[in-house]
Parts: sequence; structure tokens; C-alpha cells
Amino acid sequence: MSATPEMSHTEIEGLLGVYALDALDPETAARVEAHLEACVRCAAEVAQHHEVAGLLANSGGAAPTGLWDGIAAQLDGTSDLSWDRLAARLDPPDPARAAAGARPDADVVPIGASPRRRPWVSAGAGLVAAAAAVVALVFGLQAHNLHGQVDAMQSGPQLSSAERAALASPSTRRIPLAATSSAGAGATPATIVLTAAGIGFLVDDRVGGLAPLPADRTYQLWGVVGDRTISLGLLGPDPGIVPFSVAGSAAVTEFAITDEVAGGVVQTANHPVAVGAIRV
Amino acid sequence: MQNLDVEQASDANLVVAVGRWYEPALAEVYRRHGGAVHALARRILRSDPPAEEVTQEVFLDLWRHPEKFDAQRGTLRSFLLARTHGKSVDVVRSEESRRRREEKMSRETATAAYDIDREVWDMAVAEQVKDALVALPDELRHPIELAYFGGHTYQEVASLLKEPEGTVKSRIRSGLGRLRANLMERGIEPAGAGL
Repeated sequence: MSATPEMSHTEIEGLLGVYALDALDPETAARVEAHLEACVRCAAEVAQHHEVAGLLANSGGAAPTGLWDGIAAQLDGTSDLSWDRLAARLDPPDPARAAAGARPDADVVPIGASPRRRPWVSAGAGLVAAAAAVVALVFGLQAHNLHGQVDAMQSGPQLSSAERAALASPSTRRIPLAATSSAGAGATPATIVLTAAGIGFLVDDRVGGLAPLPADRTYQLWGVVGDRTISLGLLGPDPGIVPFSVAGSAAVTEFAITDEVAGGVVQTANHPVAVGAIRV
Repeated sequence: MQNLDVEQASDANLVVAVGRWYEPALAEVYRRHGGAVHALARRILRSDPPAEEVTQEVFLDLWRHPEKFDAQRGTLRSFLLARTHGKSVDVVRSEESRRRREEKMSRETATAAYDIDREVWDMAVAEQVKDALVALPDELRHPIELAYFGGHTYQEVASLLKEPEGTVKSRIRSGLGRLRANLMERGIEPAGAGL
């Protein structure tokens, strides 16, 4: 189509019915769409036509279950894929290897990982030292995050009224952390509750939550910021509700929990027990 | 831990949870609306494999872009059905699908648990919708059926009905308006932004 004249509001209006039923050619449909962006009245009329058409279509009936499996297999942001994204960020890209068409994880050693998942860090990548520097210098994490939270854990879910108010705020986000083990597939043993101010709470589900660890172990919380992973604090062997802070650091996009020796580690080599990503 | 009880949650709240990558919320949306989405795709495409593809795409789109659903504008079901319709029509209009529609393939589809009260409601509504459609004069009803279920453009509908294109265009619009009025007379209030 060349040199198409502008369509008037009235002309567009006349097309709203056929537009709602997808009975327009793509070019004209695109012009109606452009008009709908700006015209609330026409957009409302299309919405009404969609409701009526939806009722015509509505034959009810059950959703085919076989189809759901196909959909679920393609979801990103689920535990497996979220973990893939985490791991991908920790594996520095190697153009030579990519060009050779090799599997990107072909030469790394999974530690505590199930065979089908990618490992937490690649061997010999120098990431441990880099991440230690990140934790110590760049993000300036408060020391209590690393060492003081066992106390918070032991004192239990004692939330101040300010904390409770922050949790109730509409801007507060909840990020379910999905279990990564095949046994716990689909489970969300813990949830991150993150306020707009950067105060977060790790909430261990009372039922089906993180399994209590022996006294010489601790859960540790990690955040992914850009291509770096930082420790957000120790959670103790049986977390309950543990506060932490991401204020002052750049935006954390994903969280992971690992099982570590008591006292925690600067950089983990363990496979996370639960992961979750913040939807941007 | 997850505080949302998906079975009790409203459609709008489910979509919010989908926005936070909460998979059980999408599963519940699928459980509530997957049957209608699949049935519409199948009706337009007349064949299961492409209808299943469309159904999957509709729910994956919701997972990836839940922000496209505006609860102020209408119900989640009509939003999903509009997406289903658009995608199905795209398939119908592609050459490849013309070949596929010739094939008679059947595939076993399992049946999910389905709320009996929802089913009864659906059936009651279906009756009312059928009545409302029948109450519509033929000249308004036929173009809507041909466009909506046949996946035809309005120009094709005009040619099929041997009517001028402009007539068909305006009959579809006024037919939808009349249908809405007929439904409301029967106690069914189609959602949608009213101004």
C-alpha cells in the first residue's frame, strides 16, 4: 500500500466490529490498532465486541491435560531454567568453544548437581577470587548479613510494626524460590519478600519448607547482580524468617539458597537448593 | 512458601502471580480457560495439531507478557479467546494450514478435572448465548458466524453472501451490538469497558 490517506475517526469506528473478529487484512488492522492506542472510546468498544465474541466461543469443557505438559515444559523462569540462567551468568562465555559448537558446560565439573543441570561455577575460571572481591569491595555488604543472622534466625519471626507495614505495601514483591531437586520439583520451600527500600525477608515455608540442617551446616542466601553473584547473608540451619538488605547494591535479579558449612563461604561451589528470579 | 491460594484467587490476581513467575497460577488459568481456548482454536482450525499449537502459544504468551492483559478492559477469558481467535485466523490464512486442514488427524486428549458448578454455569450460559444468537436476524447473524468461526475477512464474507462489503462491515458491527443487548436481556452481562 502506498500513499494511504489518513482514516478518519468515523471510518475507523465503522471497522471496529470486523477488527474485533479479526476479519481485516493486516494493513488495515494495523491502522485500527494505531488508532486504538490513542482513542479510549474505540478501544472500549473493541473490548465489548471481544466480550460478546468470547461468549459465542465459550463452549466450556475441560482443558486438555496433555497440552498442559507441553506448555509447562516451555516455561522460563521456572526452577530449572532460572537455574540455567544463573549458571549461564557464572560461566564466562568462551567464543572459541561456542564457535566449535561444543556444549558450553562440557568441561566443567558439577558439584552436588544433578546430572542434567548445569553446575554452579565452572572449574578454574577464577571466579572465586573475583566474587570475593565483589563481596568485599564493590557491594560493601554489611557484616551482619554474613555473620549476624543466626541470631535473627534464633529469635524467630519478630517483626517490628514498620517491617509489617513494609510487607503489606503494594510495592513489596514476593519472589517464590523453587526447589531445584527433582524430588521437590514444583515446590516453593521459601519465598523472598522484598520491599521497595531494599529490605528483604527470607520466609521459610512452615510446611514443606527448607529441611533443617545439622548444627555444623547453614543455609546461605545469594543474589545475582548483573553477571555477579553476591552473598546476601547466612540463614542458619533452620531459617524461619530472616531479614536481609540489598539496599546500596545494584538491583538483584535472582536469588539462590545453598547449603554450606556453618559460618558460610565467600563463594559457593554448591548447587543451590532453591532459586527464584525477580520479574522485571 | 506461597500465600496465593490459586483455586480461590480471582483471574486478575492469578495474572499478577503469573507476572511473578508463579507457575501454579498459570496452571490454574489453564485449568479454568484452557478448555474454551482449545475448543475455539479447534472450531476454527478443524484439526487438533494446529489447535494445540495455538492453545500452547496463547498460554505461553500470557506467561511472557501478562502485562498485556488489562483487567479494566474485560475478562481474562475474553482476552485469551481474542488472542486465540487472532492466532487461529492467522493459521487459517496461511497456505500451510490449508494443507493441514485436509488431514484428518485425531489425537487423544486427556480430560482434566473440571469444576462441576463451572460446567453447569457454562452450559447455562451457552444456552442463553444460543438463544441470543438465534434471536438475531439472519442478515446480522450470518456475517458474524462466517467471520468469527470461518476465519474469513469481511471482504470474503461479502463475496460469500453476495452482499456489498460496506454492508457486511456495518452489519457485523451492529450485529455484535445487538447480540450484546440480547445477552443482557437474558441476564448475561458481558464484561468489557463501559464508558
